[in-house]
Amino acid sequence: MSRTGNWLAAPVVLALIATCLVPMGVLFAYSFFQVDFVAINTDPTLKNYAKIIGSETYRSLIGRAFLSGAVVVAITAVIGYPVAWFVARRGGEWKSALLTLLLVPLYTGDMVRIFAWRVILGAEGVINRFAQWAGLITEPIQVLLFSPIASHLVLAYNFLPFMVMGLWLGYEALDDALVEAARDLGAPPVAVFRRVVLPMTLPGLIAGGMMVFVMVVGDYMTPQLLGGASGVTVISAINDLFGTAFDWPLGSAIACTLLALLGLFLAVAAYALSRMNLGRSLISGEA
Amino acid sequence: MNGPRLAASWTLLVFAFMYLPVAVVLLFSLNDSEIIAFPLQGLTLDWYREVVSDPRLARGFGITMMVAAPVAVLSTLLGALAALALTRYDMRFKAAFAALLLVPFLIPRLILAVGQLIVLSDLGIARSLVTVVLGQTVVILPFTSMIIASVLMRVDRRLEEAATDLGASAWSVFRRVTLPLMRNGLIAAMFIAFVLASSETVLTTFVSGRQQPLSLLVASDFRFAISPSLNALAVLIVFGNIALVLLGEAVRRRSLRK
Repeated sequence: MSRTGNWLAAPVVLALIATCLVPMGVLFAYSFFQVDFVAINTDPTLKNYAKIIGSETYRSLIGRAFLSGAVVVAITAVIGYPVAWFVARRGGEWKSALLTLLLVPLYTGDMVRIFAWRVILGAEGVINRFAQWAGLITEPIQVLLFSPIASHLVLAYNFLPFMVMGLWLGYEALDDALVEAARDLGAPPVAVFRRVVLPMTLPGLIAGGMMVFVMVVGDYMTPQLLGGASGVTVISAINDLFGTAFDWPLGSAIACTLLALLGLFLAVAAYALSRMNLGRSLISGEA
Repeated sequence: MNGPRLAASWTLLVFAFMYLPVAVVLLFSLNDSEIIAFPLQGLTLDWYREVVSDPRLARGFGITMMVAAPVAVLSTLLGALAALALTRYDMRFKAAFAALLLVPFLIPRLILAVGQLIVLSDLGIARSLVTVVLGQTVVILPFTSMIIASVLMRVDRRLEEAATDLGASAWSVFRRVTLPLMRNGLIAAMFIAFVLASSETVLTTFVSGRQQPLSLLVASDFRFAISPSLNALAVLIVFGNIALVLLGEAVRRRSLRK
């Protein structure tokens, strides 16, 4: 069976090159072009990148995208930890059924989910009507929909299953004897979590966090359709430059900048992850 | 403090949260009112009747079939090759190949879409259902590869070794041992790929021509006007998808238990 794998992988690699790597390469090339009226001038220039670096707008859009990613990672981690613990430790024979049940809403599709959230969060929606009925508020809360609150809530909803999967893997690798030992030695619950559970489940947290972060930064539909004025994101800016504004080179340059930053982020996270697996015995020896 | 009980209630709450949108859409799809708001006005199936009898949606559904079916077959076929190469055979640069498989998943969908759009326009290729199929296949490939690999990793290699020792050629080992054992993984991957392909919107918007699949019709309806019939359509889509996913999961589970 020598090298059969190469032959099997060849068509897959070709498909990936044709439909993914070539488009990314062409995008990179376009980022050095410029628009002259309606034609594209292919003399290489760095003007697009200079424009991005010099523009307050684009810098803050990229910064905001990364901030949103971090916020949603934090929200999903806080929501996800108890769930992951429950599935890993109390799931029993229902463990895989619980995980499947958690993943199923992912397959309802972007549009349907966003549509449903609009119904839930709207002025006449489920939450406002319920709060009015219960006498908690007299006027509907308008900021529930078309606001950063709405888009971050729904982003957290969308990607929570990925975080729980990561944390669940983390818990599966955690030895409960360590938690018990810390407790027996008199550590309060917060210290047990911070000094034992968190470091030991960190690989799962990083893996889940990486996925959530990348998907939040790259999401287009959710902020667009639920974020209102805050729906202008770096991704929607790229979309506009390819659509109405017709500046493909600048759009390409923003896309490449974003990809480079995302790649850097992923590389750091992956490096941390690999060191952790290697140094796991060392860490547990210290603890 | 009772930690475990707290975590159990929290988990229940989170699962309810995950299914809240589905429940709300279902509720309003049966509500006898033009306005999507509380209080509910009574039961009706009119919105479903409206959806089922809409020729535009029927055409969109047909186009979705014409796109999602080939994408499911193609991405399962490529995913099977990738999973076999990763789990069963020797190959060079295995780690690099595994990383490459994840690239379409990690690149923001819209960025991949504009990249594909530039390539199509530079090569003068008209956008059509074929370009949608090719574009979608690559973003779904990471999912099918992982699903099939997860099944293959649990297949006992000794079965294949025994067949080889008994004198079977590499091809007949694959044909008579490996393939039957991975069959359930292939079916599961195909179902999930179908579901993912039929609900993809971002990439599809960029690389599709004039023929619009159902997902794009829903997206444009949603932007212009929200009507209760959209609830009914959403329910049909959601329950169709969930049924397919659970069916695929059941098939995959059966192969793991053996």
